[in-house]
Amino acid sequence: MASNNLMVGLEIGTSKICVVVGESRTDGTVKILGVGQAPSRGVRKGEIVDFETAMKCVHEAVVDAEQKSDVMIRSVYVAVAGSHLQSFNNRGCVMLPEDRDEIDEQDVEDVKSNAREVSIPAQNAFLHSIIQHYHVDGQDGVLNPIGMSGQKLEADFHIIHGMRTRIQNSIRCVKELPLEVEDVVFSALASAQVVLTKNQKDLGALVIDMGGGTTDYVLYADGAIRQSGCLAIGGDHITNDISMGLRIPMARAEKLKIEEGSCILGNCLPGDMILLKDDSGFAGKEIERETLNTIIHLRLRETLELLKRRLDEESYLNYLGGGIFITGGCSLLNGLDYLAGEIFELPAQVVHAHTTSGLTSAVENPQFSTAIGLIKYAQAVQRDRRPRRFGRIFGKFFSGIR
Amino acid sequence: MIQLSKSYSLPDSVEDFIPIKIVSVGGAGLNALDRIVLDGLERAEVVAINTDVQSLASSVAAHKVQLGRNVTRGLGAGGDPELGYQAAVESSEEIREALANARMILICAGLGGGTGSGAAPLIAQLAREAGALVLGFVTLPFSFEGKRRNAQAREALDRLDQFANAVICFENDQMAEIVPPKAGIHQAFASADMLISQSVRSIVNVIQRPGLIRIGFDDLLAALRRRNGRCLFGFGESDSDNRAHDALTQALKNPLMDRGRMLSDAARILVHIAGGPGMTLSEVEVLMQELGRHVNEQTQILFGTAVDGRMGNRLSVTIISSLAADGDIALDGVTSLPVAVPTPSIWEQQPQPQTSVDSVPESIPMPEPPRVPPIDFAPIEQEPPIAEPAPPATSLSKKAESSSVAAQGRSAPVKKTNPVEEKLPAKQEVLQFEPVTRGRFEKSEPTIVEGEDLDVPTYLRKNIKVK
Repeated sequence: MASNNLMVGLEIGTSKICVVVGESRTDGTVKILGVGQAPSRGVRKGEIVDFETAMKCVHEAVVDAEQKSDVMIRSVYVAVAGSHLQSFNNRGCVMLPEDRDEIDEQDVEDVKSNAREVSIPAQNAFLHSIIQHYHVDGQDGVLNPIGMSGQKLEADFHIIHGMRTRIQNSIRCVKELPLEVEDVVFSALASAQVVLTKNQKDLGALVIDMGGGTTDYVLYADGAIRQSGCLAIGGDHITNDISMGLRIPMARAEKLKIEEGSCILGNCLPGDMILLKDDSGFAGKEIERETLNTIIHLRLRETLELLKRRLDEESYLNYLGGGIFITGGCSLLNGLDYLAGEIFELPAQVVHAHTTSGLTSAVENPQFSTAIGLIKYAQAVQRDRRPRRFGRIFGKFFSGIR
Repeated sequence: MIQLSKSYSLPDSVEDFIPIKIVSVGGAGLNALDRIVLDGLERAEVVAINTDVQSLASSVAAHKVQLGRNVTRGLGAGGDPELGYQAAVESSEEIREALANARMILICAGLGGGTGSGAAPLIAQLAREAGALVLGFVTLPFSFEGKRRNAQAREALDRLDQFANAVICFENDQMAEIVPPKAGIHQAFASADMLISQSVRSIVNVIQRPGLIRIGFDDLLAALRRRNGRCLFGFGESDSDNRAHDALTQALKNPLMDRGRMLSDAARILVHIAGGPGMTLSEVEVLMQELGRHVNEQTQILFGTAVDGRMGNRLSVTIISSLAADGDIALDGVTSLPVAVPTPSIWEQQPQPQTSVDSVPESIPMPEPPRVPPIDFAPIEQEPPIAEPAPPATSLSKKAESSSVAAQGRSAPVKKTNPVEEKLPAKQEVLQFEPVTRGRFEKSEPTIVEGEDLDVPTYLRKNIKVK
């Protein structure tokens, strides 16, 4: 097995740390060799708050993955999230010299760097610059302009940037282990690689990755990424709400949410009670099911409505032919697809990674979407990168990623 | 939620305002003064002093004093401190008159030029003789303005330091830090003015605001009393959801603070927190705790707080301290003054009937600026200065005279007391019965979207009863 076919995705999540080891095959598919995970501590809202503890947890997860896949992990792709991430669309433009009208590779490089010349806050760094479309002399929707004739080449880019120091925290955490960081990837972008098919991207789709600490989203229209972002609200907030509303410890609230929680209202009989058994340090308690569901429903409705307001700032929601795809650990909550469908007035479904071979049964879970997505991303990037070998952590253009 | 029907009244010690005068000297001082007045300042009088009539005429100050009618004839001092000093000597009677009846005098000047460097030390001396507490707010020139100007400024600063109780010194080079590199030069100077204005106003407010825990002259002096020391000053104000934290962060961001790093070396720190009626104890607690991280354990914190109806939703923090120049803590700085003036205490202050001495707008003869072509006076500016050594030069007669002025000054009238607080409707205090809590997210960065703290459970924010 050639080592450069080996790809490892690492997601430092708020509730768990997940390491997926995959192998790229010559036919373009990915085989998952093993999945390692460890409960996460020292991470809040997708960002590391306790460095030492988080590092230990990452170490645990990596060791777990190494044992399960029987490989030695040297370098990883890391997913990042956090409310500091921001995105916008920008257009770059170059004019060809008078004596030449065939667009070549150099022109494409020029227009890429031109689109990149935008000011972002000084403490921020570029995370992704993703090509949407090229325009040649005003002709829209050109996918590959090389070889075309034209005088004016424009390119639309979607740029994702975030605070440099916070992104570096994740990188540093991995490097101290010590592991190499191949790249950092916005987590929803990674998830989208694996939950959406090319066809769905073309139709237009919204991916909502609802994790423990954050809700990340990516919106595709016409096969290109149009909007993306991160809300620092996640499953943790629901657990916290339950814990405070029902006055039960966090650990019990988490268990109750997973086992009994639903965000559909009016579905249960009045007086339908859930019995919490007594435990050491916790006296038993009876809880009305409707109360629990109300708390969950209010939080999720608010979060989704907030997301809708954000996306409504630009009118791409109307272009979603593919619908809404919800993934991430929180999407396992009963009825979330129904609620999202009701709020966005679009078909919504809970999805997980489905384009892999190997340990399929083990990874068919929305919790692993991001980590598996990282492998998919890595595969696309490596295919794109191999001829040129340029690799910087920050600021990159990959035509392979859409 | 419980609402108290009876609102607690604010302390009624509002009546006795301490007469404070803000004196600006020279061109830079006048610019700063304009800024102070434009930013809004009550409870203090302003006096503009300059040699240059043109700039004096355009000043917004009500009370103006022209220096050196014969020495400079309405023109500037031409960057010569000696000439500025001569001009001030010539007009010392007028200055003395202008400074009378103040318990505290703040002198603003830009050092390095003629009038500011020459006249400011003398004015400080006259002010001390008049029995007032004197604070200097001065700027030092940019280093690109040349070594000569910088040397003049340093010399003037030394002299000013001898007379003033404390000098807060802003280095223009440091200002460059707070100005974005692409900003125009006017903005750089404007920000220097703004900083001076901010610090002057906050010191006036610290002294004048009716305090729950009041800060007096003595506290202020204790915090500032360091000979040749480096003054630390920070001011922050915020009305955000997290205003205590934001205000403190802003205060520590002040260039004179060096992001709070300097505070760890200070022996005494004066902290004044002011806010509207909605200021809570927990906010003050949070703020002081946060500040505590920046200071040494041995540091004495002089703490004051005030509730001011005009503050509305805002909360402001003022931090004042000073570092000894050579690490040596010398508290006896005041006694080495040429004129020993007892430090007045605000508690002696009694409201007294008004006399007519105070600040009748001066009828300075103001020649129309373009009346004389400046070229006529060029030789005068180059005249060799009248030989008299630089201060300290206080004659005995002056001293006697000044002490009488000082006595007069002490029985000074309190001009106006019209606190706005009294006009404010008595506000009901809202006591929060159930504290809004963020549970697990207590210590993490709040998720605030569209003005709401989303870490607080939705049902609590929307007031939906779940049980």
